Amino acid sequence: MKELQDLARRLLLEGRVDIVIGYQQGPRGVRPSFVTRPEQADALIFDERCVHNLVTYLSPRRAHLAAWPRRAVVVKGCDTRAVAVLLRESHIDREDIVLIGLRCGGVHRSAEASGPLTAESVAFRCADCSIREPELVDHLLGDPRPAPPGNSRLAERIGQLESMSHEQRREFWNNEFSRCIRCHACRQVCPMCYCERCIADKTRPRWIESSAHLRGNTAWNMIRAMHLAGRCVGCGECGRACPVGIPLGLLNRKLAMVVDEHFDYRATDDPEVPGPLGSFRSDDAEEFIV
Amino acid sequence: MSNQAPSAARGPSADNATFEPRIVAFVCNWCTYTGADLAGTSRIQMASNVRILRLPCTGRIDPLFVMKAFERGADGIIVSGCHPGDCHYIVGNFHARRRFRVFRELLDFLGVDPERITFSWVSASEGGKWAQVVNDTTRRIREMGPMESWPRASTALDDDLHG
Amino acid sequence: MARIGVFVCHCGENIARTVDCARVAEALADHPGVEFSTDYKYMCSDPGQSLIKQSMKEHRLDGVVVASCSPHMHEKTFRKAVSAAGLNPFKCEMTNIREHCSWIHEDRAAATEKSTDLVRATVERVKYNQALSPITIPITPRALVIGGGIAGIQAALDIADAGREVVLVEKEPSIGGHMSQLSETFPTMDCSQCILTPRMVDVAQHPRITLHSFSEVDAVDGYIGNFDITIRKKARRVDEDLCNSCGACMQACPTRKIPSEFDAGLGTRTSIYVPFPQAVPNVPVIDEPNCLYLKSLARRRKSKKPARSRKPVCQRCVKACGPKAIDFQQEDRLVTEKVGAIVVATGYRLYDIGREQDEPGISGYGEYGYGKVPDVIDGLQFERLMSASGPTGGELRRPSDGKVPRHVVFLQCIGSRDPAKGMEYCSGICCMYTAKHVLLFKHKVHNGRATVFYMDIRAAGKGYDPFTRQAMEEPGVQYLRGRASELYRDGDVVRVLGVDTLSQEAVDIKADLVVLATAIRPQKGIQDLTRKLSVSVDHHGFMNEAHPKLRPVETATAGVFLAGACQAPRDIPDTVAMASAASSKVLALLSRDELEREPQVALVDTANCSGCFHCERACHYGAIEHEEIKDGQGRLIRVVARVNPGVCQGCGSCVAACLSNCIELQGYTDDQIFASIQAI
Ligand SMILES: Cc1cc2nc3c(=O)[nH]c(=O)nc-3n(C[C@H](O)[C@H](O)[C@H](O)COP(=O)(O)OP(=O)(O)OC[C@H]3O[C@@H](n4cnc5c(N)ncnc54)[C@H](O)[C@@H]3O)c2cc1C
Ligand code: SF4
Ligand code: SF4
Ligand code: SF4
Ligand code: SF4
Ligand code: SF4
Repeated sequence: MKELQDLARRLLLEGRVDIVIGYQQGPRGVRPSFVTRPEQADALIFDERCVHNLVTYLSPRRAHLAAWPRRAVVVKGCDTRAVAVLLRESHIDREDIVLIGLRCGGVHRSAEASGPLTAESVAFRCADCSIREPELVDHLLGDPRPAPPGNSRLAERIGQLESMSHEQRREFWNNEFSRCIRCHACRQVCPMCYCERCIADKTRPRWIESSAHLRGNTAWNMIRAMHLAGRCVGCGECGRACPVGIPLGLLNRKLAMVVDEHFDYRATDDPEVPGPLGSFRSDDAEEFIV
Repeated sequence: MSNQAPSAARGPSADNATFEPRIVAFVCNWCTYTGADLAGTSRIQMASNVRILRLPCTGRIDPLFVMKAFERGADGIIVSGCHPGDCHYIVGNFHARRRFRVFRELLDFLGVDPERITFSWVSASEGGKWAQVVNDTTRRIREMGPMESWPRASTALDDDLHG
Repeated sequence: MARIGVFVCHCGENIARTVDCARVAEALADHPGVEFSTDYKYMCSDPGQSLIKQSMKEHRLDGVVVASCSPHMHEKTFRKAVSAAGLNPFKCEMTNIREHCSWIHEDRAAATEKSTDLVRATVERVKYNQALSPITIPITPRALVIGGGIAGIQAALDIADAGREVVLVEKEPSIGGHMSQLSETFPTMDCSQCILTPRMVDVAQHPRITLHSFSEVDAVDGYIGNFDITIRKKARRVDEDLCNSCGACMQACPTRKIPSEFDAGLGTRTSIYVPFPQAVPNVPVIDEPNCLYLKSLARRRKSKKPARSRKPVCQRCVKACGPKAIDFQQEDRLVTEKVGAIVVATGYRLYDIGREQDEPGISGYGEYGYGKVPDVIDGLQFERLMSASGPTGGELRRPSDGKVPRHVVFLQCIGSRDPAKGMEYCSGICCMYTAKHVLLFKHKVHNGRATVFYMDIRAAGKGYDPFTRQAMEEPGVQYLRGRASELYRDGDVVRVLGVDTLSQEAVDIKADLVVLATAIRPQKGIQDLTRKLSVSVDHHGFMNEAHPKLRPVETATAGVFLAGACQAPRDIPDTVAMASAASSKVLALLSRDELEREPQVALVDTANCSGCFHCERACHYGAIEHEEIKDGQGRLIRVVARVNPGVCQGCGSCVAACLSNCIELQGYTDDQIFASIQAI
């Protein structure tokens, strides 16, 4: 902890960055912290409740951070995959940012959780995570951690859904999507949803109906999932942010499985690997084509 | 916009014998559109359920089009372009192939039978193949029945699935 | 409110027989935004077009929909008519109710309903059509020709003779291609060199042709009218300007046993060499792997010991050269050329029956000994043995022992029409050159015997059938239908086993020489070049024309044309015809100062672009550029995408790749497509 606070203080004092984005204790659990003055650095913490993917704050779209263009951000191993996508998509310049990597042994599903990590409480993305030390970072901090406990619920749920009939699956999703209130919180937290003007806000023409009813909601969630295929890094922030509890992680994980199976692509921290959509192989399988 | 919404014109419980599927085809200008022209000049008879919309290339075909067509009452979709290696724009069809691979899987997972979409390669010389794609798709969609409006129903899974 | 006119064509009876045109017109008359709707017998006729123009004036129409045949048929016609009446031509669209409706349906009610739907969708689309104007781009009035075989030579001469500059790039030390290796040519049996050499000299002396021999195209940038070509001039190590072609260097060179490429391996050459006496340019080239001096340099570089002796090895050529043209220091050089059009004429190579193949799916002929049996040669080797300038001075002597063969077996279709070997196509010219070989053989060895194994005789050209017939009717010549199943060396003969499929009899021949008519294949590694040019190839590697019937010498990439055997196996008459056709296309293009292009190009909505460059990755043509947006003080705010309209081909791949749809394809905008989906 001290190590992290000292580093943050030094980066600010030396004028290397304008802001350090990390985690601090909030009124209810851990919350993101925006440290702009060296004396605030002592508030920074890192533990199993640091679930947020702070890479989302690197996007220039976060207008409220525009006053602090040079940013340092605390990242876990999985978060650097989002950095890689942003680099790949020319969204950030590596020189403009400082990545503070923390050795990680898994986080809870909720920032408000307490107690040790268990198979029950561990976040889905940690279940099969093997990155104890984040790559791509400028500073690597923290003590070595043991691997997080396993949990296969997300995969099980996907399997369960897949074993249903089309009608049952549609029922399931209709029920989920009909609750969507189109708050777009899922989009706000997503590091990949950085578009200047989201397709959902395009008015000429309005592809996605804007009022919160099943048809528009389905269109919205379907198209957002499409936009994240091969780009989603699996941080699960959208599902966590959704106020009505739509399991968006299921959709994104499913499409991540699809691009893995068919295009041999997995979310990676290597920005040089081309994304699976936008590239192609001339011998991609096409058994679904007549 | 059109004042008759096609979906409204048809009752929800149209039975399959009298059910005439509405199928929208998004085809590329160079291969499939021309192949469909050839089917015409060769007077190959086929089902009249398919309405063609012409695009320059399969690479231009956005899943948004399919989504919108379903919203507007289409029961089936055809996406068709040049065979791999023959794309007028060299690689547009390779992009489309990946995009529709993912989109079909997504629809499937959302409970929409991906068999509602036919993806085909029909070249400018395959008038006969075009007729076959049209007829096969029409027959299949007829068997599947109308694409029902999105129903609301109780959940089958209620577990907390976040994080 | 839009003021759209709908014009439903009967096409005589073609449409009206199955579609109730009047009903379609009536149904559309009530559609919002439709100001005028009518049907007529022949819309494309003069009175039909006048009807459109007249109604446009009367009803002050701001959009026109013609429901008739395929837009591929008459889009230009109607857009021109609309333009003549004072409206932007892109405000006119067609609905195809003939090929896509009346001709493929019998049920009148269904066809009428479908037509109405289709027209309605077009009307909705036209409401969003924008007035577009053609894009003009300036043209560099020069052409690049790649490959200096007969195709490239003909194209270069045609274009240069018409007054345009030509840059000719040939990868070998001399131009001439395969034709320079041939002895006599079918069907008239004139000497190949005699008709080719004058043209090669014309190329060398033409004031408007710049020849880069021993050079390759390194990079192609730009687009039709404005290509930037980078050419790699490989180190020849002989200064082309100083050399006076005396040949003293070749006399002096001590290495004399190197197989000559020009003689298809049957003759030899020195390390410093011109491929053949009539080469253009007639300047030698030093063959690096075989030159004693260069080998010694390489050895010295490899060994860790300090240079043992400073004494140069060999360098006899340097001493022999009067004008001091030999320059061992020379390295590859890159030169750039600006051109407006490109002709690709890279020709072919012959299939090699060996075990090692450079492509999966293609296999050699183990049953013919993988090319290791002496006295089994290919067609080009036979040409060299027959040529007066060849290794045997025109006497037919077989490679193994120099004997004159009495019985020659010719096997046609080796690799061709054989899916098992990987090439199912017909190589087109082998029937003819085998007949030629038979006649040449019979001319040289009067009482010799020739047996030809063939599958079918394909001799469809002018004068070709009598030519093959003449070969078949020569005494001592036997044509057998079938493939040889095996051949092997047996003492000093080659045993050829096979079946005559017409008589069903097994044959077993003791041949003195076997000539294989091996398949014509595209040049090795040609995909490197086609990728640079954005030209597609078929699965064998032959280049694809834009349309097999109507645009046979164009490619899908504007400004790039094809000539000769790079597109498919071709003989010389076809090659030359194609080269002249390509030249006329090039000249038509280069005869203008500016080029008008359809305005179907992509356009970025800069205000909403996030600068993710998904579009850039989707664009095969490299049309997407980066544009910097700066504030009043010149500070960089954002980098966004911009489309170079000269490069954009209008495919729309970028549009579908853009997640937030802030790049639009003119003529196929989101608005237009959305409107037609809503209506259909
Ligand atoms: C055995 C045999 C006998 C034949 N006899 C006859 C006959 O009697 N009558 C007849 O009409 N036809 C005959 N032909 C066919 C004839 O050879 C071809 O029609 C003709 O050579 C085709 O010309 P081309 O210019 O297209 O190709 P080529 O002759 O192959 O010339 C291509 C040229 O391009 C150059 N090149 C290739 N790649 C590149 C590159 N990347 N960059 C720069 N340069 C490149 C090559 O070096 C070559 O000089 C015969 C063919 C064979 C095999
Ligand atoms: S996925 Fe891995 S790196 Fe990310 S929080 Fe879980 S254990 Fe840590
Ligand atoms: S949903 Fe799509 S368009 Fe909207 S912000 Fe996310 S990626 Fe961009
Ligand atoms: S966060 Fe949930 S409710 Fe809000 S838009 Fe996204 S899916 Fe809908
Ligand atoms: S329309 Fe096609 S060619 Fe034009 S910029 Fe887009 S991807 Fe490139
Ligand atoms: S894909 Fe769209 S948002 Fe991204 S750079 Fe291109 S035009 Fe801009």
